[in-house]
Amino acid sequence: MKYIKPGLSHLILLSFISIVLSCNSNSGNADVENKLDTVLTGNITAELTDAPVVPKPLNYNSPKRVIVQLDVIEKIMKISDSTEYTFWTFGGHVPGKFIRVRQGDLVDFTLHNMADSKLAHSIDLHAVTGPGGGADATATAPGQSSHFQFRALNPGLFVYHCATGPVGMHIANGMYGLILVEPQSGMTKVDREYYIMQGDFYTTGKFEAPGLQVFDMDKAIAERPDYVLFNGRVRSTTGKNALTANVGETVRLYVGNGGPNLVSSFHVIGEIFNKVNMESGSEINRNVQTTLIPAGGSTMVEMRMEVPGVYNLVDHAIFRAFNKGALAQIKVAGDEHPNVFQKLK
Amino acid sequence: MKFILIILFLTECFDVSNAQQRKSVSVERKMLKIPAGNYKPFFVTKSGKPIKVATFKLDESAVTNTEFLLFVTANPEWRKSKVNRLFADSNYLRDWETDLAIGEKNKDIYNSPVVHVSWFAAQAYCKWKNKRLPTVAEWEQAGNAAPKNIKYTSLTEYILGWYKKPNLTKLPNIKTTYQNAYGLYDMHGLIWEWTFNFNSFISNGDSRGNTEDESKAFCAAGSINIVDKTDYAGFLRFSYRGSLKGNYCIANLGFRCAKSIE
Repeated sequence: MKYIKPGLSHLILLSFISIVLSCNSNSGNADVENKLDTVLTGNITAELTDAPVVPKPLNYNSPKRVIVQLDVIEKIMKISDSTEYTFWTFGGHVPGKFIRVRQGDLVDFTLHNMADSKLAHSIDLHAVTGPGGGADATATAPGQSSHFQFRALNPGLFVYHCATGPVGMHIANGMYGLILVEPQSGMTKVDREYYIMQGDFYTTGKFEAPGLQVFDMDKAIAERPDYVLFNGRVRSTTGKNALTANVGETVRLYVGNGGPNLVSSFHVIGEIFNKVNMESGSEINRNVQTTLIPAGGSTMVEMRMEVPGVYNLVDHAIFRAFNKGALAQIKVAGDEHPNVFQKLK
Repeated sequence: MKFILIILFLTECFDVSNAQQRKSVSVERKMLKIPAGNYKPFFVTKSGKPIKVATFKLDESAVTNTEFLLFVTANPEWRKSKVNRLFADSNYLRDWETDLAIGEKNKDIYNSPVVHVSWFAAQAYCKWKNKRLPTVAEWEQAGNAAPKNIKYTSLTEYILGWYKKPNLTKLPNIKTTYQNAYGLYDMHGLIWEWTFNFNSFISNGDSRGNTEDESKAFCAAGSINIVDKTDYAGFLRFSYRGSLKGNYCIANLGFRCAKSIE
């Protein structure tokens, strides 16, 4: 307590300022807050998907009770073609299941930790307004479930992650995913939507050293990853697993960054983002080449595919793409568009 | 080859204990004296001082299925079908075939630690043996001793090595990991173990204060209260304990008993 005292007056001043500021910035949610007593118009079970698939756009326009059930599964999976890793997952894959709800929904959330788990786990959803983002309510021992509910007050694309100590280790083992809170007016219609999430991994062996690799605590603390990956595996989204689109289509990417350490300089080689919801907030930026995604943050980007070919998604801190696996692909099919791009002899 | 010999040896051991069990003769679990010491708590305490741990005795290994069978035989209220749900959830002794039979299909685990037991059941067992569960400070003090019969770089690395692997389908027998400087077996690397004050940690505050202490393990902001921030193994252990309730019965959670020295 005695450490706090000298700065107490400053703290009070600061909190006063922040209250004033937050009153202003929250005014956009007044609608929702006024409707908190609104009767919910039924129950639905959320569609949950594994990356790169995104749940279908929501087709209702009044608040519902949305039931979400997520399993925590510890399992060995391939991190590269001949390398395995003990992942801790939300739903059996890295990243975790994509959850899609609507602003104003009451989310009824159950976290189940599988009986054969070794450890306790929890979930902090950045979409939650409440203590620990749900982590306080969900410290869950193996074989147990925990249950809480929250109101999706703010629209946006939010990261969720495990918040059990040591948090960094749980995140480094793959415990993160995305929850989309659609605004009340819904998302604008696009032709295709995909789910991509970046994460950095720390193994005792070097990049792609064969066999079962385990988490390296020293490298994690030093922030020296062996792997920087999209969707939890080297070549998860390339070649035959590449994303697809056709010429003339608009593609929206929901991109998260689980971290635990690195900030992503997200870029698509040969494309320009027509639209970026910066940090998945309400501000829209246009004509962007590379956009930053904080660790524990996300972005929503849209691009219209004009020319056929293979487009590489990278973290433009480019050694990560070349040497640590941060590469995914979109294959665009269709007619050439020489007015836009043409290779000349 | 060595490995196979060990397995053969262990197989013989449990055959013997199985035979003993039928004759209702049990060998008392050996207890070892843990000398008094100062336990430097995982969380910063109000006083900031280490916690004094008096000399006490601790079972050399975890309580086995065979031993626990003798307990439920003598104490009908702790049988699978009779136990009060307030004191043990529906996973209580889940893998046992019946009230009084671990089961032929489980013969590999007769001499493995009993798991799927609640805190209440563990404490009742210890009381039946005129013992008690060790406190967190006692358990940590005993568990922090260096291994003496394995090669390892650091105890933290060794423990993390266990945490990083998923649970085995069949729990190995007791005394299959390592023995530490006090002579204790399997303090890490086989199962988690119940402690007397598992969710109050090392606080001397009141119960409301304790609840707050628990959350320190979960929130990143709380990590400022952790004494040794590189003790990741400790982090995981305290987080695990913080997620428990007294009636939980879990696949990798067993116990051993302690005794004060009068």
